[in-house]
Amino acid sequence: MSKNQTVEQRYLPEIQRKEIDELKTTVKGASQKIIADNIARMKKADSHRPDTMKYFDDIANLFGRRQQEIEAEKQKGKKIIGYLCLFAPTELISAADAIPVRVNSGWYDTSKLGDRVVPVEVCPVIRSTIGAKMIELSPFLEQSDALISVLTCDGMTKLSEILSDQKTIWGMNVPRVKDSTQSLRFWSAEIKHMKTQIETFTGNKITRNSLKEAITTSHRATKAFRRLQELRKGNPVIMGQDAMLVNQAYSWDDKKRWTEKTEALCNELEKRVQQKDWVCSPDTPRVMLTGTPMFWPDSWKLPALVEEGNPKGIIVADEQCSGERILNDPIGVDEWSMDDMLNAISERYLMASTCPCFTSKDGNEDRINWLLNKVKEWNIQGVIYYVLRGCMLYAMEYNRVKKALDKINVPVYYLDTEYTREDVGQLKTRVEAFMELLNARIDF
Amino acid sequence: MITLGIDLGTQRIKTLVLKDGTIASKAQAFAGFDPAKAAKQTVNDALNTAGLTLPDINHITATGAAMDLAPHANSTISMMGADAKAGVFLIPQARTIIDIGAEEARAVKCDERGLMMEFVVNERCAAGAGAFIEAMARALEMKLEDMGPLSLQAERASSINASCVIFGESDVVSLIHRQESKPEIARAVFDAMADRVCSMVHRLGVNPEVVLVGGVAKDPGFVASLNRKLGLQVQIPPYPDYAGALGAALTAAMRAKGAAK
Repeated sequence: MSKNQTVEQRYLPEIQRKEIDELKTTVKGASQKIIADNIARMKKADSHRPDTMKYFDDIANLFGRRQQEIEAEKQKGKKIIGYLCLFAPTELISAADAIPVRVNSGWYDTSKLGDRVVPVEVCPVIRSTIGAKMIELSPFLEQSDALISVLTCDGMTKLSEILSDQKTIWGMNVPRVKDSTQSLRFWSAEIKHMKTQIETFTGNKITRNSLKEAITTSHRATKAFRRLQELRKGNPVIMGQDAMLVNQAYSWDDKKRWTEKTEALCNELEKRVQQKDWVCSPDTPRVMLTGTPMFWPDSWKLPALVEEGNPKGIIVADEQCSGERILNDPIGVDEWSMDDMLNAISERYLMASTCPCFTSKDGNEDRINWLLNKVKEWNIQGVIYYVLRGCMLYAMEYNRVKKALDKINVPVYYLDTEYTREDVGQLKTRVEAFMELLNARIDF
Repeated sequence: MITLGIDLGTQRIKTLVLKDGTIASKAQAFAGFDPAKAAKQTVNDALNTAGLTLPDINHITATGAAMDLAPHANSTISMMGADAKAGVFLIPQARTIIDIGAEEARAVKCDERGLMMEFVVNERCAAGAGAFIEAMARALEMKLEDMGPLSLQAERASSINASCVIFGESDVVSLIHRQESKPEIARAVFDAMADRVCSMVHRLGVNPEVVLVGGVAKDPGFVASLNRKLGLQVQIPPYPDYAGALGAALTAAMRAKGAAK
């Protein structure tokens, strides 16, 4: 870190080492407590949680096993490449024998520190990530040798500039209109350029074989993920907060081990289906989450409220870039030539995304279709539209989504919140009223 | 069938006894620092007025922000659910219920059975709720209950920005510095608040009849502003501040009947 002192800080304030250390100790202590509390609540919500969840609880400790594993790899000379957005082509990172890890901050406490750099109106994910960097809180962000940032929203665009004070950042320029040939051409060029950048930085050539291996690893993960999602279509066998944790842990875990463990979890759950061993009453309202990403650990605030409420609901699906969107879509390769694989990666990352940064003459049609399809296949009875204040794109797309859901007679509730724990009482009132509404609809 | 509803609001606690579909008695008290104790007091007062004792009650349902603190409660219902029940009971054609209390404004869409279909709640700031009027009355150095009637004397409309209570107050101070008259400033306060409630209701869709309940429904200044902004006459039932407690008591009756079957 000593080289940072010589770089001109264009955005971040100079903070005394002593203050950084003090803040880091306090916030890290609070965060370890939140992680432990969250897991304790999840255990309470399901008195006989699947055994495999123990593994994911372990990985959920952001200051534990996974941090040490990555550190050990780093000592052996491996490069760690962090990313701030789901558009980052992680297969290229793995194929260059580097480790991809997502570094968006889910810590509420650090958003207050971010307020020293940007106004409070800015999306809290951005403020909190800045704050985490200021006090060197995030193990994965600190371990990253370089970062990939994708310029999807205003927050992400300026966040890259701010973090460039202290990190090597590669910005990827994503076109905002998907359905045009020039957009895909442009994005393919971005992907190819990223390949070269990663190769130069790591000193490792991405070969046909290494890329094929990375894509195959992703395919297996997607298969395991889809198996888990399939299990959530029927009567509930897993709490939504557990499934969401499994899902999100993929973005910092070892990909192959994650896949094995998820398969093991599915084996356990399939037995429970056979024994009709439901995690809650099958007439509990089935809820889907959509909107702003929810990052572990603090943002488990909302899923916990839904699944602990009186009356309660069960989360069976989501449409979030912190959740199902991570693994939902496989990379469609035909020939396994370098060109074909790169094109397939370009298509997968651009076309499959339902991010609200996109528009077309039909608006963000892909997102609407995803939601309608989920509602039908997962038998969703109510949707919570989650918006972190400052997230303009999701806030502005709400009416479109609401109208589409109104048409198929599925209630949706717009729930706005902040990176704060103080509004839990108000959120509880709203969430429980929504569950009451869903229950009343089921009864009649 | 005798049931009791307790509404533990952020400022006041309201309790109502319902006997075979008519209101037998009601009582209220400040929530203060010990809402559970205040609630107990209102329950005792309401029972005394009705000449009843606790064992006479078939079912007690609580609602309101502090409903988990309610004494003797057999069940709870959300404030939105209670609003819908009470609104349709009092005014059978009601399809939109607006409830404005001290700290929160809500709008609920409901069907002919009094079942809530959809709801919206004001954003975290209390600028759309009763606390806003209280803060502005303080800035104008007048009694809360005088502000409404005074605002009706305003000859023209000034405007303030009610995005937040604190900024609203500094806007009021600017009007004072511009030497605007008190009635005009009072009207500006109600207009700003009505604007916020109005856009909230429009997000839900305005389905007549529109019924206004909650403590703020008793303020003629706010009602006049809201009617102007919505372009219709909202219906106000008698004792609008007891709507939550009534909705809870009606729910209690339904649940007691369900249990008896």
